[in-house]
Amino acid sequence: MDNMLDVILSTDFFFTAIRVMTPILFAALACMVFTKGGIDSIGTEGIMLMCALAGPLGSYATKSAFGGVVIAMLIGAALACLFGYVTISLKSEPVLAGIALNTLASGLTIFVIYYATGEKGSTQSLASPTVPNIEIPLLNEIPLLGQVFSGHSVLTYLGLLIMILLGFFIYKTPAGLRIRSVGENPQAAKSVGISVIKYKYMALIMAGALCGLGGAYMSMSYVSFFSKEMIAGRGFIGMAAESMGRGTPWGVTLSALLFGAADSLAIRLQLLQLPAQLIQTIPYVITIAAIAIYSYSRSKQKR
Amino acid sequence: MHIKKNAVTMVEILRTMVAILCSLLMVFAIILLVSDQPFSALKDFLIGPLTSVRRMGNVIEAMTPLIFTGLSVTMLYRAGLFNLSMEGAFFMGAVAATAGALLFDLPPIINLIVAMSLGTVAGGIVTLIPGVLKVKCHANELVTSLMLNYVCLYLGLYIITEFFYDPQMNSNYSFLFADSMVLPKLFSKTRINTGTIIAFAAVGIVWLILNKTSFGYKVTLVGKNDTMAKYSGIDAGAVIIGSQLLGGMLAGLGGCVELFGMYQRFQYQGLPGYGWDGVLIAIVARYQAKYIPLAALFLAYLRIGADIMSRNTDIPFEIVKIIQAIMIVLISAQAILSRYRQKLVVKEAKELEEMGGKVNG
Repeated sequence: MDNMLDVILSTDFFFTAIRVMTPILFAALACMVFTKGGIDSIGTEGIMLMCALAGPLGSYATKSAFGGVVIAMLIGAALACLFGYVTISLKSEPVLAGIALNTLASGLTIFVIYYATGEKGSTQSLASPTVPNIEIPLLNEIPLLGQVFSGHSVLTYLGLLIMILLGFFIYKTPAGLRIRSVGENPQAAKSVGISVIKYKYMALIMAGALCGLGGAYMSMSYVSFFSKEMIAGRGFIGMAAESMGRGTPWGVTLSALLFGAADSLAIRLQLLQLPAQLIQTIPYVITIAAIAIYSYSRSKQKR
Repeated sequence: MHIKKNAVTMVEILRTMVAILCSLLMVFAIILLVSDQPFSALKDFLIGPLTSVRRMGNVIEAMTPLIFTGLSVTMLYRAGLFNLSMEGAFFMGAVAATAGALLFDLPPIINLIVAMSLGTVAGGIVTLIPGVLKVKCHANELVTSLMLNYVCLYLGLYIITEFFYDPQMNSNYSFLFADSMVLPKLFSKTRINTGTIIAFAAVGIVWLILNKTSFGYKVTLVGKNDTMAKYSGIDAGAVIIGSQLLGGMLAGLGGCVELFGMYQRFQYQGLPGYGWDGVLIAIVARYQAKYIPLAALFLAYLRIGADIMSRNTDIPFEIVKIIQAIMIVLISAQAILSRYRQKLVVKEAKELEEMGGKVNG
């Protein structure tokens, strides 16, 4: 038992938790913006996967990591707009359109890397620049805290910053209020002269760019190349984190951190020969239970 | 009344046809653009599956699991729920069937039946969970079912590695099944087995349930308009839960049939994806059980064609996923042909009015 506590209560464990949390945080923030704008977020998974490929290809082409991240964000925004066009203008059922987007992503990414590199599994053969990790001055000199919070990817810090800015944008600015009104009650928003289409697309572009950051983090920071199906459900987990965090920036971040911690725990427990697969089910079971309890209490209140 | 239903159905069928045609044309265009040998690629893709008995057999083999998940999605969705846990149900069906095959030592055929029953029940339990949470807690079934798929994946892999892992294998495969656990083959030179017959039997049963029983009628009614269903005295909750249980059982049975028909041991290392394919099958078949085999045959044919093409030419197999995606979007796009549909509906309304006028006059 002592041994187990040693493994869990190490700085490594908390450091890994933050590292694993980052892509889920981006996914969850993207889902939050989608949901605020009244848009179905099941396509997050596929958009992130395509952006994860766009990142290394972009950074290879522009010879800079910054270029790669920007291209991933642009691709993310473009794909989100495509999803918007299909669901708003062509009136496809959003859940089905999202499933289509995810299917397209898993096929198209392999198609593209095959023609870009001649391989079918990954972009390892491309020497693409990656996003650097940074040591935070002063913080990194504090024992323990420094080891946990310093030395993460630039994108991790950017994600936390965006989380705070997004909270301000959505709740404190007129544009944020309009996005929420368009999402909650488009007819009412229209009747007071708000352009529904304009604010829907504003939400789509922002959420798509967030997916781009999450995808780019996976292939340019978490590891240094794209490999097929590398998002592996993180977009779906983002949906759940959004739902469990009740759509508030801090709630969403804490839920993402829960997933990060559980994943980190699974990685650590493998060292102790404990059944890692069973540990890996924990965050999903907690999510299902949390969503069920939250929905139940809310439905009781309504009555 | 009869005419109206037909015309709207015709538009729906027309839209499906147009969507299939458009997605195929788009993919042909991609092949022509990127391939060095586009014509041999197209030939392999389109008529490759017909060139040998073995390949035709492959199409039927690939069709079988798709029929089960297509039926599963039809059943789940008919009640109006986006329950996506058929993917986990298929997987858990195979896991439970493995347990049944390796734990018991019953007489041959009885053991097979017991193992398949276990798998079927396991699948039903999986899809039941989001259904119950929806009815009892009003929890969004989309999110809970997506999370549940991962619970199934890790729990299933845990069960296999902890209890049935064959240490002689390098990967996490289970022990070999007894010969009596393999579904008998129907034709020589192919691997087509009795599983395909079970699949067609399942189509018949689902068709009967949906079209000839009051339960099936209630499921459709609840899916279309659950407020109206409530006012007509239907217990919507019970109907939803029943349909979700049945849908999962179909997916679980599919997992058993695929496992005992095509494999000698449990080999999945991840979710196999047949559940997601089921979504396409169900929408191509327009959620009608009788069209499911045709839709499954179509996708299986595309798969085998693409497989042959990818082996002989420079076009990767994954092109099938691009076709699938375009098809889902176009078929579900209500705006396509909507004007034509509108015109037909108006025309019929006028005709009906004239007829009504005559009767009244």
